[in-house]
Amino acid sequence: MKHSFRYPLAWRLLDWAEAAAAAIWPRRWASLTGYLLLMPAMLLVFVLVIGLIYIGENSLHELDIYTYRLKEAFSLINYRAATSATYQTIIGRSLGASAIVTAITMVLAFPYAYVMVRAASAWTRKLLLIALFLPFFIGQVVRAYGWLIVLGKQGLLNSILTDLGLPAIKLIYNYPAVILGLVQYMLPFAVLLLAPAITAIGEEAELASESLGANWIQTFRHVVIPMARPGLIGASVVVFTLTLTDFAMPEILGGGTTDFIANAIYDGFFQISNPGLGAALSMILVTIGSILVTIIFYLAGTGTLGFSGRRP
Amino acid sequence: MTEKFSLEQPVNRRHFITRSAALMGGMMIAPRMAFASAPKKPKELIVRAWGGAWGDALKAGVADGFTKQTGIDVRLDFTEDNEIKPKIWAAVDQGRVPPIHVNWDTTTNATISALRGVTVDLSDLSNLRQLLPLAKPVGLEGYPLVNTYAYVYVCAYRPQAFPDGPPQSWTVMLDPKFKGRIALYDDGIGFNPVAVIAGGGTFADIPDNMEPGYAFYRKLKANNPLLGEDADFTNWFQNGEIDIACTISVNARAAKQNGIDVAWTVPKEGCKVDTDGLWVPKGLPENETYWAKQFVNHALTRDAQQKWCSLLGLPPVYPGIAPPPDLVNDVSYPTQAADFDKLLRVPSKALVENQPKWFAKFNEIFQG
Repeated sequence: MKHSFRYPLAWRLLDWAEAAAAAIWPRRWASLTGYLLLMPAMLLVFVLVIGLIYIGENSLHELDIYTYRLKEAFSLINYRAATSATYQTIIGRSLGASAIVTAITMVLAFPYAYVMVRAASAWTRKLLLIALFLPFFIGQVVRAYGWLIVLGKQGLLNSILTDLGLPAIKLIYNYPAVILGLVQYMLPFAVLLLAPAITAIGEEAELASESLGANWIQTFRHVVIPMARPGLIGASVVVFTLTLTDFAMPEILGGGTTDFIANAIYDGFFQISNPGLGAALSMILVTIGSILVTIIFYLAGTGTLGFSGRRP
Repeated sequence: MTEKFSLEQPVNRRHFITRSAALMGGMMIAPRMAFASAPKKPKELIVRAWGGAWGDALKAGVADGFTKQTGIDVRLDFTEDNEIKPKIWAAVDQGRVPPIHVNWDTTTNATISALRGVTVDLSDLSNLRQLLPLAKPVGLEGYPLVNTYAYVYVCAYRPQAFPDGPPQSWTVMLDPKFKGRIALYDDGIGFNPVAVIAGGGTFADIPDNMEPGYAFYRKLKANNPLLGEDADFTNWFQNGEIDIACTISVNARAAKQNGIDVAWTVPKEGCKVDTDGLWVPKGLPENETYWAKQFVNHALTRDAQQKWCSLLGLPPVYPGIAPPPDLVNDVSYPTQAADFDKLLRVPSKALVENQPKWFAKFNEIFQG
């Protein structure tokens, strides 16, 4: 008796899928597949660039306050306004905060990431990972509001102070409160970017260092930190740029007098209906961010964000 | 014999049921018959509103009555007034349908939109005729918007912080003991003319000489004021963050109604009085424009004005409506010419043309 042979269903389905794929994208185009997969992302970037061109164009027209439309004539008046002393202060405040938040976040994130990666106990690792991810489920606005509840005049901290007979102190609606909120917001981003870099450092390198006589601090300074440099650079760039462009924390925790550039842009577009000024401030923000990141990449490589950056 | 319906005539049970049913049916149908020849009704109208006490008042005072009368649901959209403005402008410019049907807006912002040419003319609304002159937008042709009530940016304060009585002058804000416990709107709205007078200027200086106001702001900056929006003021009073603020009386009254110890006054320099209004954006389908206008028309009826404005605690543009009991003879509820004498009303034209300049200076002082 002769049995007819049939391939398993899963195999046949795969064959059909392969034939369909070959019909849509012939094998001779295989070398272009990578570019095809890149297309959606490129399209998104393209749309962003188009938007940026429009914003750039808008920034070169003055607002006509009798029609609330931008005048036809080209003008640099928005750039003159956007580089006035007021906006210089706001830009300086944003850059200062970005530097401070990046420095504090890195100092806090590195040990966290190191312990999370190196902890011997799986439970410890999981606990640290959960503690890290939990804030991601809570949006930035809610977290900022949480700080209002904790640090407010009648908040948790001041309640403890007044219960102890001490006067309540003003802990929110100022620059330090904004920095605090931003550090808490940025910490998970930094840890997540540092963790892969630390994982990539073999424990044997640390053991070798110690076996050659280095103490823990020396090993950390001369082995761990240099080898984690790609992660430190990547995390710093992300934290710095996210802080530089942040809106919610200064808006909610700043009390209205510690605006960042993003708040000034919002005011330009919405509060005073001057898209020209908003656009000029946006262009300045993009330019400053791009120049700073380019300098960092040039001096220190692209870190974990790049594939062929300088090796430490 | 002709049977006449009379309340004096004895009515048997059968007649009573028949007539009651006819009367009820008539009452239900009558308002709908008024719109019998009207264009197709949309499923809902979207009306932009402010949240909190403001939105509640619009719903109870206007939207619910409109829905009852027309069967059209009204959805309130709480997008910030400054944020909806560019969205509507972009939609009209690009030939898209705007995101809302009716915009409840400040008169200044509404005037800006009218100058931009994105508002529908409301001159044919039947209820306009009965309103006070305040309803008519100044310096604009026709009715690209209609003002619906007046409001006052009062001096709201915590009585505990002022044991000697209400603040007599806005200059009390400069007292170091209130450092960090003062609040203004984050764009200076409502306070700019007051600042001019508190800074030694006069009302006649506005808008050409605002320097006394800027000088006052520079002094005030040393006292670290908080700058925020409507909702912030209620929260700040509630959380004990501030002692004194320049805010719309509605926010202070809402805080008081929520059990917060807040009072308000008009200091000797006066308070700014302004108006809000309703307008319909261009670019809606024809039938939706019609019903959006009917919504505005409904908001101008005596019933709607009375209920809406009483809930807000603001004087309506419909004449002869008594203030709510808690606001009789209240400084925040001007009804007589003498009441308005204590208030500062800057013409819309001056506000529209100067607001960006004032904001830039305000920003320069407080952010610089």
